[in-house]
Amino acid sequence: MEGTKSRREFVKTAAIAGGVVLGAPVFIPKRTEAEETLTFGVDEELTGVYAYPAKNEVRGMQMAVDDWNKKGGVLGRQIKLQVEDNANNPGTAVEKARKLFEVDKVPVLIGTLNSANSQAVSNVAYQAGRPFLVSGGHTDTVTGSQCHWTSFRTCHSTWAETHATGLSISKKFGKKWYYITPDYAFGHSLLDGYKDMEAKLGVQVVGSDLTPLGTTDFSAYLTKVLAAKPDCLIIMVQGDDQINCLKQANSFGILKRIPVAGPQGELEPLWGVPKEAQVGYWGVEWYYKNVGNSKEAQSFVSRYMAQIQEPPTARSAFGYITADRMATAIQEAKGTDPVKVCKALSGMTFHPLQQGSGTYRTVDHQLTWPMLFCETIAGGQADNPKDIFKMVDVQPGEAIEHPVSEQEKICKLAWPS
Amino acid sequence: MKRTLDTAGLSLLAIVLLGMPVWMNIARLNVSLGTSLLLFGLAAASVNILVGYTGFMAFGNAAFFGVGAYGSALFSHYIMPDNMIVSTIVGAVTGTLSAFILAPFLIRRRGIYFALMTVAFGQVYYFIAYRWSNVTGGEDGFSISRPHLFGPNGLAMEGATYYYYVLVIFVAVMVFLWFLVRSPFGLSLRAISQNEVRVRYLAINSDKLIFKALVISGMVAGIAGSLYSMSINFAYPLLMDWHQSGDFVMMTILGGAGTLWGPFIGAIIYTLAANVLSSKTETWQIMIGALFVICVLFFPKGILGFLSRASTTSEREDVDTTLDHVHTDALAQGEPG
Amino acid sequence: MERLIPEIVNGIVLGAFYAIIAIGLSLIMNLTGTVNLAHGSFLTLAGYLAFTLLQRGTNFWLALGISAILTVVIGLIVERTLIQPLYKRIPLYSLLLTFGLALIAEEVFRLIWGPQSVPFSTPASLQGATIIGDTVLPTYRLAIMAVLALVMVLLLLFMYRTRQGLRLRGAVLNREMMAALGINTQVLYMMNFGLGIFLAAVAGVLASGLIGLSPTMGNGLLMPAFITVVIGGMGSLAGCLVGGLLLGVGQSVTTLYAPAASEIVTYVLMAVVLLIRPRGLFGEEGLFG
Repeated sequence: MEGTKSRREFVKTAAIAGGVVLGAPVFIPKRTEAEETLTFGVDEELTGVYAYPAKNEVRGMQMAVDDWNKKGGVLGRQIKLQVEDNANNPGTAVEKARKLFEVDKVPVLIGTLNSANSQAVSNVAYQAGRPFLVSGGHTDTVTGSQCHWTSFRTCHSTWAETHATGLSISKKFGKKWYYITPDYAFGHSLLDGYKDMEAKLGVQVVGSDLTPLGTTDFSAYLTKVLAAKPDCLIIMVQGDDQINCLKQANSFGILKRIPVAGPQGELEPLWGVPKEAQVGYWGVEWYYKNVGNSKEAQSFVSRYMAQIQEPPTARSAFGYITADRMATAIQEAKGTDPVKVCKALSGMTFHPLQQGSGTYRTVDHQLTWPMLFCETIAGGQADNPKDIFKMVDVQPGEAIEHPVSEQEKICKLAWPS
Repeated sequence: MKRTLDTAGLSLLAIVLLGMPVWMNIARLNVSLGTSLLLFGLAAASVNILVGYTGFMAFGNAAFFGVGAYGSALFSHYIMPDNMIVSTIVGAVTGTLSAFILAPFLIRRRGIYFALMTVAFGQVYYFIAYRWSNVTGGEDGFSISRPHLFGPNGLAMEGATYYYYVLVIFVAVMVFLWFLVRSPFGLSLRAISQNEVRVRYLAINSDKLIFKALVISGMVAGIAGSLYSMSINFAYPLLMDWHQSGDFVMMTILGGAGTLWGPFIGAIIYTLAANVLSSKTETWQIMIGALFVICVLFFPKGILGFLSRASTTSEREDVDTTLDHVHTDALAQGEPG
Repeated sequence: MERLIPEIVNGIVLGAFYAIIAIGLSLIMNLTGTVNLAHGSFLTLAGYLAFTLLQRGTNFWLALGISAILTVVIGLIVERTLIQPLYKRIPLYSLLLTFGLALIAEEVFRLIWGPQSVPFSTPASLQGATIIGDTVLPTYRLAIMAVLALVMVLLLLFMYRTRQGLRLRGAVLNREMMAALGINTQVLYMMNFGLGIFLAAVAGVLASGLIGLSPTMGNGLLMPAFITVVIGGMGSLAGCLVGGLLLGVGQSVTTLYAPAASEIVTYVLMAVVLLIRPRGLFGEEGLFG
């Protein structure tokens, strides 16, 4: 009796397993085999807590691709984006990256904004031996201790963020600081970055709290802040945590009494904060009103606003720059040979959607470009409530990144011979 | 007639498993996804031991899976870099240990309490992986390079090669489970799922049996996790999160809890559905959620359970006979009544 | 320790939150054994509905009431169509079904209101703070405490002073007996579920003023609520209250002295209670095995 049942199970299992696996192609969309199309693989966090910034990155990428295609494409080939959702999960990010490389045979990969995903996918690209340009993942290791010759990064490193803002904060508010830091690698590297400046600036840290990621209630930390009476409260938490912290800081009356600043402020979370809590002086990686006389940037901004009905964010800029530079590198390399493309990107100097210039420097493939220090205008401007940043200061890229001589010790790019 | 059907079934299964790299290629999916199908199948099988056979709602198996994943990853990075066999074993051992540590606590409760405890303790492991970032890399995860088979000069375990390595282990574990389910131990577990009080009345120490079931479940999950981190070259805390446990439970229910191959079927369907749907549409999460809902409402026995015409009376007879054996054995070995 | 007092106050507000969400969960669990992993989604839904109303200029309290009622209606539809078939089965199924519902809900919120957090403003009248010496008590948090206290008093009155409440309590103790006495248990189940969802909805709207309102807002509050149910005791609403306050104050005080441990303390506490006194501080023995 037992044996028969299990044998029947076997048959059914085999049949079902076979059916599912063999039948799966029916549900997979057929990819056009047109050789005239050049496909960029995109690995992004389209579902989960980062869905909104991820969406903006993809929007920027698509605009860059459209612009290239209007000019006739790259080396005569039209560019297509093959976008995959990694669901904010490193395992999925790895599988999607492998699918893009092995099955879709994309010559290049771009994307990721989650730190863990960025590193995991960076490793996959290295094993596949193909270029990967990180659009929005900030973790230091990608262009630091775990760098690869195949990996590049557009957004600033955490080191740059702290070094772009530290001086401005101490000048404007004073030297007694209180840190509220998210307790994971990103936060820790921000702390390290500020620590590097503390001696130079004469900063006295009157309090420092590491908050678990996803903290909903900051009241305990905020009462400590009130008791410590700092010159400035440095909020390093991002995304939803930043929203929670600001809303609650407002309810405690902190925002009226103590200046708030931080190494990174983005439009996506700050647009989600009610007017009364829209305050702070933040490091801003790119802002649509501060592109200077760059015609390309102005065109990008006006077209984006016409198309999407809201201003482009720094994320949109990351996406545009990433896709645009990848296409440029392929053009310069006159093909998709990985080493030639990476050599073309490495050391490439250009205007990253602004008047200032940036370089994917050769030592670690980190884009070294200017960073702004902006004041938040609650409720935005009269003509546009989403225009909430006002530039106070700007730092050039070389001044804020890890010095090359130090970075050489951390990142060793082993180019294939 | 039955023989031909069995051979046909076995052959079909063999063709699917042996030819997976080819099928993945045809389906326009990467080979390592095929490896993941096997590994999630094992993870779901580990859940099945508790949920399907013992009737215990285990919602923390991702923790054992994750500990196995970190075990092999950390070992291969810090201690012995290039030996896949040893790394696999270490991962399996750490996964087993992680269950062994919790088992004394878990066996003391039943029902929802048991379920909530598995969640709570699972989350404790998750937080350790998250917070001990000096060792585990924390939220950023932990990168490793895939070890060679037997040391630096051994076989390089690339894509398809690694798949077959995993397949060997997969088959070994499934065979082990096949024997386990048929053994007096396995039948005792099923007896517990039907009526634990009755089992205890027969002087059988159900706590001990559940303890063993937990440890074995941890071992299977640990093996799966250990191979998974080496497959994606990465270990990360989310592997241990209770949402991942929920996914494994769903795979088990979807395929058919209490059947040997149900978890594997469930793992295939769930993993492929999530992967393929997420490439097609941004609203894939609604479809996966709907899959949960439809399965629970209309196919609670899962696919294999739905198709199977297993008569419950014959099952009960088997259990009765076995319980007699086990009871006699227990008396013979002088266990307290 | 002048820093301790404000922490304890913070903890009480936080605890009241956990308690009200836990009571809702507990009500639903006690009567039908349904583990509602979609509870957080109802929280979020109420927040979004209130946000939409506030954007049209509705008064805050009116918005609170309307969104609570709307959320309950949706909850009842869900209960009748999806959850009711599972009452005869083991809790595992309701767990998985509500797990799936939570996934669907999150995506639906993303489709309707967008993936971004939406700026939910608390009414201007509640935006100040009372300052006593060095202690700052935000008015909004005091308002939350007041509303939650009111809701709990109303709930107690309902459960212990009305016939429906009596029937609910009786049904928790013995479902079959209630049916045998000719009472319509299906209506009881509906009322019970609706009550639980109502509590979640109120908490959701209030929470949206404190934390960011996004598709994933409710999820962060769900786990502590479950832990509160376990600590306080399954089957006991007073237990949820005490458990919630314990948890809230515990978290706040731990944050003061050892912030890194504040998260894990909750899980360790839960494990310890489950081991030593699994029915919880005030729970009924044998209610869930």
